[in-house]
Amino acid sequence: MASPNSESSRVSTNNGSTSMNKSTRQQFADTMFVLGQLDKNIVVLVGDIGHGMLRPYAEACSDRYYNIGILEPTMLTIGAGLAASGLCPVMHTITPFMIERGFEQLKLDFCYHQLPGNIVTVGSAFDYSNLGCTHHCYGDFALLKTLPGTEICFPASAIEFDQLFRQSYKNNKLTVYRIAGYSHGYEFKNKDIVFGKGICVKEGKDVTIIATGPQLQTALEASDKISNNGISAEIIYIHTISPLDLAIIRTSIEKTKKVIVVEEHMRSGGLGDDVLRAVYDVPGLKFHSVSIPDKFVTCYGTYEQLLDFCGITSASIVEICELWF
Amino acid sequence: MKKLPNKDLRRKIVDMVVTGGDGHIPSAFSIIDIVTLLYKKILKFDAKNPGWLDRDYFILSKGHGCLALYVNLHRHGFITDDDIAMFCKNGGILGEHPDRTKVPGAEASTGSLGHGLGFGVGIALGLKIQNLNNKVFVLVGDGECQEGTVWESANVACNRKLGNLCVIVDWNQSGMQLMPYDDMPKKWEAFGWNVYIVDGHSEGEILEVLNKINFSSNGIPTVIVANTIKGKGVPILEGHGIWHHRIPNPQEYLQIMEVLR
Repeated sequence: MASPNSESSRVSTNNGSTSMNKSTRQQFADTMFVLGQLDKNIVVLVGDIGHGMLRPYAEACSDRYYNIGILEPTMLTIGAGLAASGLCPVMHTITPFMIERGFEQLKLDFCYHQLPGNIVTVGSAFDYSNLGCTHHCYGDFALLKTLPGTEICFPASAIEFDQLFRQSYKNNKLTVYRIAGYSHGYEFKNKDIVFGKGICVKEGKDVTIIATGPQLQTALEASDKISNNGISAEIIYIHTISPLDLAIIRTSIEKTKKVIVVEEHMRSGGLGDDVLRAVYDVPGLKFHSVSIPDKFVTCYGTYEQLLDFCGITSASIVEICELWF
Repeated sequence: MKKLPNKDLRRKIVDMVVTGGDGHIPSAFSIIDIVTLLYKKILKFDAKNPGWLDRDYFILSKGHGCLALYVNLHRHGFITDDDIAMFCKNGGILGEHPDRTKVPGAEASTGSLGHGLGFGVGIALGLKIQNLNNKVFVLVGDGECQEGTVWESANVACNRKLGNLCVIVDWNQSGMQLMPYDDMPKKWEAFGWNVYIVDGHSEGEILEVLNKINFSSNGIPTVIVANTIKGKGVPILEGHGIWHHRIPNPQEYLQIMEVLR
């Protein structure tokens, strides 16, 4: 485990006071407000959360907004029924209650039925750090990848959510948007964000660092640090976990032969597993996963402290590079 | 003694189970009279266009009773003789639970209990949002009513005033084997539903109640608690014993068919 490495520059996107002036979750509410008035098929269901933020949408589209109750599995089944009636459901509440408690509803009512829907979750990994394991969810990618055809993305800035949602919300599939509570602080432009496509944030030649969600910030910090030792890192940012942009990943790793994946997900079943499967046959490959260990995170503290506890830090990446070079 | 209705469909169910080598005969016999009446007298549908937008929706939530659905879909032209012959055969479209992606006229893929009502609530809510007048029927088992999602859905339906929704409970006392205190009508009353109790094997009683429902899209949802007998019509099949998931041997087949002549 890496030593604690407080990263006080991390920006919370929950209060809107971010360097990019808007939280990802606020963007969800704003996107619903705009799209809801343009697309009369959109129906938003929430599980007693987010109703203040969604008030403008709720007032503009009052017959298509339901604070449906504290019954997450049934909220999902109702969403599937709305889809069967021809409407476009958007369901929103805390991640574990949607993905873990409601897993059979996702599997049967959407996927087996071949019905489309949009799941917008809040509280990724351990964003609700002090609320304990009941409110943590860091196995969601693994679970969702067992549901054929399901799309997963992890927008960690407002512009990403807006673009990814607009590009995919009515593509006739089940799409899960794991809203990050913290941003990576990197400013993308609209044209940078293409659903299903990774982004090369920084070109390099010695090692590939693949990051998803807020961990792009960690990757950038690590890149700066190792550059002092003459190591050139290429940074690939992944906002769409499934379908995964294998081409950009493979092209980079064929060049560098070394890859570190940094993510807020359990080691098993995360982005790292997909990356390793995509490049296992690259000659001389070196691979490392900086992720949540396969165990419950039962400690309390801030989001940053839990990242430290799991070793998800730029210091961990630097240590790995020191071993490799 | 009242004449047993739907003997022909009951015979077809037994034949399918024997040919397919699998199936739940008593569960289908418990609901066959209800499902047959719905397709004969109540539901709007177009077998040549199963996705017709003006259709009414029938969701069989207790999916293991699917033989009662299949024989009615066959009778009304949704599925063919070949489909029936291929029940539970590799390459066929009919399995032991309905699959909406394969079976024309099947609105939901059920089998895991506790999903059908929520799905029906979603459809009913969707129809209400779109100002459409289609009716939604969901048939649930009484054992299925031990699933919490049934009551989550019942709660939403009442609070969202889904009067376009009608649930029929196949109250054949299966649930009481596990939980003897099981006052089904009182439970639904407590959730704010209009409650009717009928003999689930009496076409006249079921029809009379169905004709009373106004299906207002802004009213109170209705539940019909149907007193039924699992395996109804053939004494050796009736009740909660070994026949739940058993295939008749040749001697038993003849015995059953003799009763259903």
